[in-house]
Amino acid sequence: MKQLLFTLLIIPVLGVSQNLNFQNSAMRQLSNLENSENRITLGGYGEINFNGYDGKANEIDVQRLVLLFAYKFDDRTQFVTEVEYEHVTEVYVEQAFVNYNITDNLNARAGLMLVPMGIINEYHEGPTFNGVERPSLDGKIIPTTWREIGFGLAGRSNELSFRYQLYAMNGFVSFNDDYVLRGTDGFRKGRQKGAQSINSDINLSAKIEYYGLPNIRIGLAVYTGKTQTIDLEDAATQVGLTMVGADYRYVKGRFSSRGQWARTSLQDVAAYNAAGNTDLGASMGGYYIEGAYNLLPLTNRQRFDIFVRYEDFDTHKKTEGNVVANPAFHRKETTVGFSYHLSPGTVFKADYQNLKTAASDTSIRQFNVGIGFFF
Amino acid sequence: MSLFSFSAFILSLKLSFIGVAFGANVSKKADKEIKKTFDVEQTTLVQTLAQDVPGIDQERLYTVFNEGVLLGYAYLGEASSQTDTYEYLVIFDANFAVKKAKVLVYREDYGSEIGSKRWLKQFLNKTPKDRFAYRQNIAAISGATISVKSMTNAMNNLMISLASWQNNETANKS
Repeated sequence: MKQLLFTLLIIPVLGVSQNLNFQNSAMRQLSNLENSENRITLGGYGEINFNGYDGKANEIDVQRLVLLFAYKFDDRTQFVTEVEYEHVTEVYVEQAFVNYNITDNLNARAGLMLVPMGIINEYHEGPTFNGVERPSLDGKIIPTTWREIGFGLAGRSNELSFRYQLYAMNGFVSFNDDYVLRGTDGFRKGRQKGAQSINSDINLSAKIEYYGLPNIRIGLAVYTGKTQTIDLEDAATQVGLTMVGADYRYVKGRFSSRGQWARTSLQDVAAYNAAGNTDLGASMGGYYIEGAYNLLPLTNRQRFDIFVRYEDFDTHKKTEGNVVANPAFHRKETTVGFSYHLSPGTVFKADYQNLKTAASDTSIRQFNVGIGFFF
Repeated sequence: MSLFSFSAFILSLKLSFIGVAFGANVSKKADKEIKKTFDVEQTTLVQTLAQDVPGIDQERLYTVFNEGVLLGYAYLGEASSQTDTYEYLVIFDANFAVKKAKVLVYREDYGSEIGSKRWLKQFLNKTPKDRFAYRQNIAAISGATISVKSMTNAMNNLMISLASWQNNETANKS
C-alpha cells in the first residue's frame, strides 16, 4: 500500500501524468484518509535461515514470519499488532497495543508491548541488522524478543531531538512450580510473552534516545523490578533485578557502526538458587560492537554491506552462595559476513561465526546463510 | 483592482487554505509556523498557481504577503510514514530558498524522529536547484529509515517540480 501511495506521488513528477490526473490522484489520496480501507495497514517481516554446524547436522528453518496489522480508529487512536509464527509451528502475539495520541509530544499506550532495551528488541526486522542470527547478547542478556503486557507513556521532542518511553509492565516469571531461571541464559526462560502470564509484582521500564547529533543515535534504558511467582508466601521463589542498557547506531555515507552494552544486577539470588538447585548468576552483562562498509556506490539502489561484529558477555559475571562461576558462560564471539540488500526491504545474508568461551581455547565454528524481508 | 475587491479576493483564497482538503489542525499549525518564521503578526496567503502544474497541486503552494509585501512562499505537503501519512510544511523566502522545513502532523511513533529540528536543518537555504539523496547529502536516522527516505524523496521531488515550473514560467515570459 505504501508503495502504491508512493507511486502516485512520484508519477506526476516524472511527467507521466499531467494536470488533471495528478489533481485527481492527489485529491483522492487526501480524501482517502477518511475512507475505511486506508485505516488498515498490512505489513510483515521474516527470516529463513540455514545454520551450518561443525560436526553435527545442519539446520534449515523458517525462523520467524511476522504479520503486522494496524488499524487507525481516528487521528489519535491506533491499534497495532504483530502475529508471529516461529519455526512454522509456534504461534505468538508479538505486540498488541492501543496507542492514544494525547499531544504531539505525548502518547499513552497499553497492551502487549516490546520492552525498550538495546537495539534489536525493538528493531529486529531482518534487513535492519547485520548477521543471519541476532547478536547473542540479544538473546542471553536481553532476551529478545522481550515483550510484556503493561501501560505507559511514549513520545518525543522535536526541539530537543529525543524520544522517550516509560512503562509499567509485568515481568519475568521465576517460579511457576518450577524454578525456571538459570545460569546459561539468565532470564530467557522467564519470558511470559503475554500468555496467561503470572503477575505478582509490577516492573518499570524506561528508555530515552537522543538523535540530535549528526549521523548518530544514542539510547539509554533502565528496567527494574522483581520477578513473578505463583507462591506469594515464599520469598525464595523471586529475585530482584535492575538492567541497564546503552546503545548507539552510527551511519555515515557507506560506513555504519553500532554497539550495545548491558548490565543486569540481581538480588536474592543465593536463596533462589538454593531453593531451586539452580545456577542463576548474581550479575550478568557485556557488550558488542560492529562495523560495516557498503561496497556499492551510494547511488545504487542495492547495498552490499560487509561487516564484522565482536561480542563479549558473561551470564555469570558474579555468582552468590554455592554457585561457582562457570567460565563456559563467558562468551567471546566474532561474526564476519555480508548483507546483500537486493532492494530496500529484502536482504540476502551470509556469515561465519567463531564462538569461544572462557572455558576453553578451542572455538566452535558456524556458517550461516539466510534471507530476510520487511514490508 | 480596488483595494476592497482585492481584500475580498484574498479572503476567499485564504479560506481555501483552511478548507476541506487539509484538516483544521494542520492549517492552524501551518498558519502559526508561517507567521513565526517570517516574524510577523499577520500574513495573507494567496495561491501561487492558477492551476496545477506537474508535481504541485495548486492548493498546496501559497505566496505569503504581509501588508502587501511579498515575504516568500509556503508549501504544504503530505507523504507516507510506515503505516500512515504525515503533513509537512516548507517555507521559502522570496527567492525560493528554504527558510524552514517542519513536520506539522505525524501520526505514529515509528519514524517520528524526522520531526527533529536538527535533522530538518539539512534542508535550510536549499533552492529548487538542489537535489537530495538519502545517505549521500542527507543524513540517515537509525530506526527511522522509512520516514527519512520518504521525507528526503518528498523534498527532492518538490525541488524538481519547482525547478521545472520556474523554467516553464521563464520560457513563457520570454
